Amino acid sequence: MASLDVTEPARRPFSGRRVHLGDLLLQGLAGAAAAGATALVLLIAWKVVDGAHPSISKFGLGFIVHDVWNPVSGREAYGAASFLFGTVITSFFALLLATPLAIGIALFLTELAPRVVRGPVTALVETLAAVPSVVIGLWGILVLGPALRGNIESWLHSGLGWIPLFGAPSAAGASIFTAIVVLAIMILPIVSSISRELFLGVPHELKEGALALGTTRWEMVRGVMFPYARGGIAAALILGLGRAMGEAIAVTQVIGGGTVISWNLFNQGDTLASKIAAEYQGATSNLEVASLIYLGLILLVLSLIANSVAQLIVRRVARTHGVTRGGRG
Amino acid sequence: MPRLGTSIRFTGACAVALATAATMVSAAGAKRTTTLNGAGSSLIAPAVAVWAPAYAKASGTEINYSAVGSGAGIAAITAKTVDFGASDAPLTDSQASACADCVQIPWALSATVPTYNVPGLHSGQLKLDGPTLAKIFLGQIKTWDDPAIKKLNPGTSLPNLAITTVHRSDGSGDTYAFTDYLSHVSAQWASQVGNSTSVSWPGGVGGAKNAGVAAVIASTPGSIGYISVAYVVQNHLDWARMKNAAGNYVLASAPDIEAAAQVVKSVPADNKLSIVDPPASPKYKNAWPLSTFTYVIVHTSSAQAPALRKFIFWALTPKAQHMISNSFLVFAPIPKVVLVAAEKTLTKVH
Repeated sequence: MASLDVTEPARRPFSGRRVHLGDLLLQGLAGAAAAGATALVLLIAWKVVDGAHPSISKFGLGFIVHDVWNPVSGREAYGAASFLFGTVITSFFALLLATPLAIGIALFLTELAPRVVRGPVTALVETLAAVPSVVIGLWGILVLGPALRGNIESWLHSGLGWIPLFGAPSAAGASIFTAIVVLAIMILPIVSSISRELFLGVPHELKEGALALGTTRWEMVRGVMFPYARGGIAAALILGLGRAMGEAIAVTQVIGGGTVISWNLFNQGDTLASKIAAEYQGATSNLEVASLIYLGLILLVLSLIANSVAQLIVRRVARTHGVTRGGRG
Repeated sequence: MPRLGTSIRFTGACAVALATAATMVSAAGAKRTTTLNGAGSSLIAPAVAVWAPAYAKASGTEINYSAVGSGAGIAAITAKTVDFGASDAPLTDSQASACADCVQIPWALSATVPTYNVPGLHSGQLKLDGPTLAKIFLGQIKTWDDPAIKKLNPGTSLPNLAITTVHRSDGSGDTYAFTDYLSHVSAQWASQVGNSTSVSWPGGVGGAKNAGVAAVIASTPGSIGYISVAYVVQNHLDWARMKNAAGNYVLASAPDIEAAAQVVKSVPADNKLSIVDPPASPKYKNAWPLSTFTYVIVHTSSAQAPALRKFIFWALTPKAQHMISNSFLVFAPIPKVVLVAAEKTLTKVH
């Protein structure tokens, strides 16, 4: 009589091989996608450096601080200073303008608005993100620019003219200030929809606990919701900053193509991305093409630095201030 | 035998559909028509848009054209990504050496026009001359009621409004013609700025393409810029009268542009022509001083050379030239001496 061998493993419905193949495929495909993305970034970086090489070898690092752009053959000279300045100024002030507005919109939609209004307004704000850059640029130069010049710029100048930022307004609607407002409009939906999701994710018990202890609504927002969402909002700001620094088409239509560095926001200016968009197709000499690619390289490095700094901030803020998701604190 | 899974049947159906579509497409593609691809100047784009259907009917060859700008057109033909390039500015020395076996053939005659937006002035009312225009764009004349402008416009009331100059922020043949003219009439402009499809402007606002410049001018009272004549005419913009060297104030009409082209006595070997600022002679009394030839650029030998030669030859015929010299498109017919030189250059393309 055969004894029951209890150590024999039970018959499994699928053979062992099929399970391993699935695992292998998953690992392989996901790994290939990740490797492909990394390779793509490195390839782009290498190609940009390679394309900018004639200009790098001619102008060196002085290109970054030289404020000139003359494509006339026989007197060619190129430098990135005014465009670098323009990119930093427009991105910084656009972020400054958009952040309180976006957080305010998110707060309104999660805490303050009547329920009936929340759905439609959320949808409308997110539709703003779907408007193409070209359309916003066109609207900017035809409608927004003249409106800003006619009303806001003169009002700011008369009230705050002692600040060098708000010098004499120019006659044209195209200016750095118009570009800042356009960029803020483009950043707004990104930051506001992410902030809205974050605020919705704040646990009810925390909010209600604070209110039960007698805090006002503003104190609850400031003491419970902001610390909880701080890390995520910083991440949203990074996304917005990236969009602002790289935006080319809308900015080139409204910024007026100036080449002089000036602190007056109402003057014309130019940014790295906008200059490349305007001049690349019509570049007449190899040196000009290489110089435009050099501008692209500077923009790439700038974005990298901004991203890394922002990542550091996110990590520090999330660690030291935020209520950890693990449940403690 | 187990039933084939749903996903396998679905994949099979897709594959059959794709195969059928591919066979159909390749069967349709078997009947091929010649297509000529071109890219470049946006000034000539309205002319090509009129020529393309007419030529397709006459010869069966299709013309595809993208108005990406003169500079981009030159880059494209140098890289041989298109069959022909179109540019308002003749090839510079470095471009000519980069595109070693390229020839440029003048195939149309157009102009650029100073366009303004001054409250109280209507179209054609403002009179300017070369030196004054140069000083305006150099930033030396800053308001509309400056004595220099008032002198040219006696009896017209000019407002005390700041002048805003508007230029093209992208590389453009209009910029080439405009700066070529200013370099001729102002030694300071020639030494300080020079002429090219893209220059370093001493101030002013930049607009992207003709449409961008028109938008800036329309929304900025007191502004003045330069736009292709066809665009100005089609959009009813306010254009200025310019004083030519003969002393007359003229508008950029087709006869006046044609008069400016009469200055060409002989065509140099590389077909590089400049007809801005015709000299002071009764023969050019009606000449528009900011006229410019526009060129088609092709390689002398390429796979499409025979088809290209036929097309360009057709474009130079009186019938094709008259198709585009009307009050809407405002190209002027090219003069005989240029026509002869163009056709001679065309024989090199084979």
